[in-house]
Amino acid sequence: MKKAFIFPAFISEIPHKELKFLDQNNVDLNTYIHKISTTLNINLPNYSYDSNEYGNNELYAQLLAYAFSCAFNEILTSKGIKPDFLAGYSMGIYASIYSAKSVSFEDGARLIYHAFKLVEDLTQTKQYGMAAIIGLSINDVHGLIIKYTPDLEIINVNNEHSLVIAGKKSEIQVLLKMAIDEGAITTAELTVNTPYHSKYLLKYAEPFSNFIDSISFNKPKIPIISTFDQRIIATIPEAKAELVHNLTRKINWNNTMHILIENNVIEMYECGAGKDLKKISRFICGDYQLKSIYT
Amino acid sequence: MAQITDKTREEVKEIVLDFFAEECEVELDEISEDSNIISDLDGDSLMFLELIEIFKKKYNLNIELKTIGKYAVKNPVKTIGELIDMQLLIIEHENSILEL
Repeated sequence: MKKAFIFPAFISEIPHKELKFLDQNNVDLNTYIHKISTTLNINLPNYSYDSNEYGNNELYAQLLAYAFSCAFNEILTSKGIKPDFLAGYSMGIYASIYSAKSVSFEDGARLIYHAFKLVEDLTQTKQYGMAAIIGLSINDVHGLIIKYTPDLEIINVNNEHSLVIAGKKSEIQVLLKMAIDEGAITTAELTVNTPYHSKYLLKYAEPFSNFIDSISFNKPKIPIISTFDQRIIATIPEAKAELVHNLTRKINWNNTMHILIENNVIEMYECGAGKDLKKISRFICGDYQLKSIYT
Repeated sequence: MAQITDKTREEVKEIVLDFFAEECEVELDEISEDSNIISDLDGDSLMFLELIEIFKKKYNLNIELKTIGKYAVKNPVKTIGELIDMQLLIIEHENSILEL
């Protein structure tokens, strides 16, 4: 029986149950947040049940998601749960390489911060974004893109009924309207101003790679499944390359989950705040159980 | 066109309630036809899709997801009761639901 920890990207809701779970396990999330603040020389606000400072700040939201994931990782491992594989959904890659002991907690935070600062000029224009389309097939959405918004890209397949697109916001809005007309069950713009995993990020591959080379890496102690090409990442060069690919290239979560299943993983733990990964696993068939650890 | 009987309605209701109780990790008696799918149960559109797949298999329905999507845009559901009513219409009319 194999196990995997899977790490979510962003936090989509205020995580009340998660904070309670951390309290019950005597883990103080703010210890992690303070450590990030000190490392990055920024002033992240303390997080509590009524925090709202993180909602509209993409960088803070990423760092908070990282803090939650790392805290949950510590709790699971302290309970003796040892994963055979790891995988990180989008920005969840940073928590997964920390969990694999490939980088320190502080260097994981540095990588997130640097990646964000690198693409910030793109983010600040507020011209770009991402969106989810539920209920249309890849072929349907691909056909709509070719016909109406050829610069948009499907940058992730969550499952056969849930796709993520990225590109210019004006084009996203056109495509979402067309998707609804075509019969999508629902569409939603994501609260980000960066078209992660799209062609607009490609120009940052080299500078991000250069920064990665300044960070101290260890060989991953637990194999990580690449969301870019689904290879099993087991070496330092592979881990470094995956970080660059994860930021700048399309990913495929559906295929990543299938590789875990093919490797006989039957128990997966959503290692972070929210239940987003459990929700999108709904149409990923296989003999496995995905657990949200705080319920 | 399928005939909807009281038995069908009870059957559909039972499936819907059992589904949401399990998926949303709430007790069955905490769900009623007035429960709001999103705000009360933390439900989502993928749950809706999965439920449709369950009914497609159970009643051997000939209906495309895109047809349901087009219908749902004009007739959005918020509560469990509204969802049961929509499922019954899907069972009754299948791909002709857009002609309603």
